[in-house]
Amino acid sequence: MTFKQHFTFFIRSFFLQTGWNYMKFQNLGFLFVMWPFLKGLYKNDKDALPSVLSRYLATFNTQPVMASFCFGALAKQEELITGAKTLPQFNEEFSQWISIKRGLTITTASIGDRLFWGTLKPFTLLLALFMWITLGIKVFEIQPEQLQPPLAYTFMACIMAFIAFNAIALLVKWQGIKIGYATDERACFGLTKFDWNRTIYNAKRIGIVLAVAMILFGFYNYLKDARASDLQFITRATIVVFFVCISFITRRLRIPNLYLYLAAVLVFNIACFF
Amino acid sequence: MTPELVLFCALAALLELDTTYAFQLTFSRGIIAGPLFAILTGNWLAGIQVGVFTELLFSDINPLGSILPPSAVVCCAVSMALNSLGIELCFAFVWGVIAAFLFAQAEQYMRKRRVGVLPVWENKIMQRPDTIGRVIALELFTNLLINFALISSFVWISSSITLWLMPHMSIQSIMACRFAYMAVPWIGLASLIPEFRLKKR
Repeated sequence: MTFKQHFTFFIRSFFLQTGWNYMKFQNLGFLFVMWPFLKGLYKNDKDALPSVLSRYLATFNTQPVMASFCFGALAKQEELITGAKTLPQFNEEFSQWISIKRGLTITTASIGDRLFWGTLKPFTLLLALFMWITLGIKVFEIQPEQLQPPLAYTFMACIMAFIAFNAIALLVKWQGIKIGYATDERACFGLTKFDWNRTIYNAKRIGIVLAVAMILFGFYNYLKDARASDLQFITRATIVVFFVCISFITRRLRIPNLYLYLAAVLVFNIACFF
Repeated sequence: MTPELVLFCALAALLELDTTYAFQLTFSRGIIAGPLFAILTGNWLAGIQVGVFTELLFSDINPLGSILPPSAVVCCAVSMALNSLGIELCFAFVWGVIAAFLFAQAEQYMRKRRVGVLPVWENKIMQRPDTIGRVIALELFTNLLINFALISSFVWISSSITLWLMPHMSIQSIMACRFAYMAVPWIGLASLIPEFRLKKR
């Protein structure tokens, strides 16, 4: 794979989810990513294009960052299809392409969802939150317009969270194309080059410590200005303890936070009315 | 709708594309979108707070498979727009959350509707494969317009209702919204612990 092809895959992969639909998910985006490569590969065999396009327009659904492994591996397999000398070899490579697509999309989706949405996103949120609170920004106060933080403080934490997430995501995206293309099914198309499970496990362990620390740190910051005998202190402490406990319960019952908040608005309105 | 609010909705529509349709560079995250909207309103702390609260509140719903979480951009945009009109943040946030939820429903409907157009696109691509770029560009542009229309409607409807309601609202109701708003970060932080929990390695 040339650098130009690699770069084209990378840039086009940002539009994988354009045209997302409930029937074939990312199929339009998938063809958009692969099209320049296919165009080059089949420039002397225009008759084969309809069947190739219909293959690429079939269902495709995976995690957008980890999809890069699929692009690399499927591009490599497509080259093997075009290079087949005999019909049995062609059929074998063809069925291999189908099974790679099916297997790899599921595997990459599973890893990507756990790593990026389930771990890295909340992890970077906690880091940003820690940074803002450490910089003295009262994030949890309910009347925030009283003291405005400097602009640099506001954006420092966002930029840090943005860079932390995207450094990993873009690296995986860039390398995934190259590794997926260079390796074969014996190396799981490069997925075994990296111990994803250990990384996710360790990140989640750090994350759980950070989340507990954030609750305690936030709780301390929230209450430190109020005296223990104050009504404000009692109100705040009650709300924090009550909602932390109830949030655990609703999570177990699979009730989204959103409903809990809207229920709180309703219940507090009724309570305040009476 | 003032020109500032139109600009606000245009920025929100653009950022919303990042959620699914283009880039996914996390510009649409609450903690990024909130402070970005604050550039337009000048209230940095409100931007940070709305961003953090939005992200914490929606942290329990991840975009796995076809699951569509409420839009953090819409929540931040509506809350910040109402706040810039002088509406207290605790009250504006209620509208923001409702708008984010409704936007997710509208988005789900659009995705279902797109299934009807899909054969047309596919036919066009099969006949002239080079049109794939145009199809993608058209899809992006259509989504941008739909996002803009939806977000503007949410901002316009919610601001009209709230500005009409404000003089008639009791102090109890505002207090109730403040209490509920105070609870948001704790609801979100507590839900992050199960998010990080692993049953087995």
